[in-house]
Amino acid sequence: MESNFSVKCENSVAKVKLSGRLDANNAPAFQEELKKLTSSNVSRIIFYVKDLEYISSAGLRAIIFAKQKIGAGSQVYLIGAQEAVLSVIKMSGLDNFMFIQDTYDE
Amino acid sequence: MNKNMEKLTIPAKLENLEAMLEFIVERAGTLGFDEKKKFQIKLAAEEALVNVINYAYPDKNGNIEITLTSRNNEALEIEIIDWGFAFDPLSLPEPNICAPLEERQIGGLGIHLIRKIMDEVRYKREDDRNILSLVKKL
Repeated sequence: MESNFSVKCENSVAKVKLSGRLDANNAPAFQEELKKLTSSNVSRIIFYVKDLEYISSAGLRAIIFAKQKIGAGSQVYLIGAQEAVLSVIKMSGLDNFMFIQDTYDE
Repeated sequence: MNKNMEKLTIPAKLENLEAMLEFIVERAGTLGFDEKKKFQIKLAAEEALVNVINYAYPDKNGNIEITLTSRNNEALEIEIIDWGFAFDPLSLPEPNICAPLEERQIGGLGIHLIRKIMDEVRYKREDDRNILSLVKKL
């Protein structure tokens, strides 16, 4: 299965697009990519996950890592999650700490 | 009891993860698990297999054996066996999933998901092997 991620930063907002799978195979590379954010002045991360089909704890750890690096005052958004992905987020209790929305108005 | 067993033995390498998961999910499909449960089984199996791949063998050189048993077509039992360090993943403390993300422990999340998803989870050490048994009902 094709998997992909892209990270870009505009002002203090980081936009992260995820598709395919985020698992033990590619989460380390994703986490490396997220490290770049920590040097910039980010206050909000938006994960666009409409095309993300699968996430395992390795992927969740990368998301937790990003939040921890960026800091307590930052906001995390999860946009367009499929039901299966959302259920994993909820089982892990991550839903308490992110804004979960179908869409995001720029 | 109508028991029906399949076995896969494969080097414990990350590059073999996909093949291991396919082996498990294909059988789950044959037994009639729906898409949602197949996703869950795949996730729980990945968590357990990645633990073995990353931690069981210090020199990263060893095998994983996966045994699939269907029980009266009502449940699938997945046994994940390695010959590495004695380690009971069920002995890990449950992560505090209510703690703020900033204070989250990074470990323990995988085994938490396994417990949440599967109907039974058991560990035993037998003949120098770790045997983790995961059961999901149809």
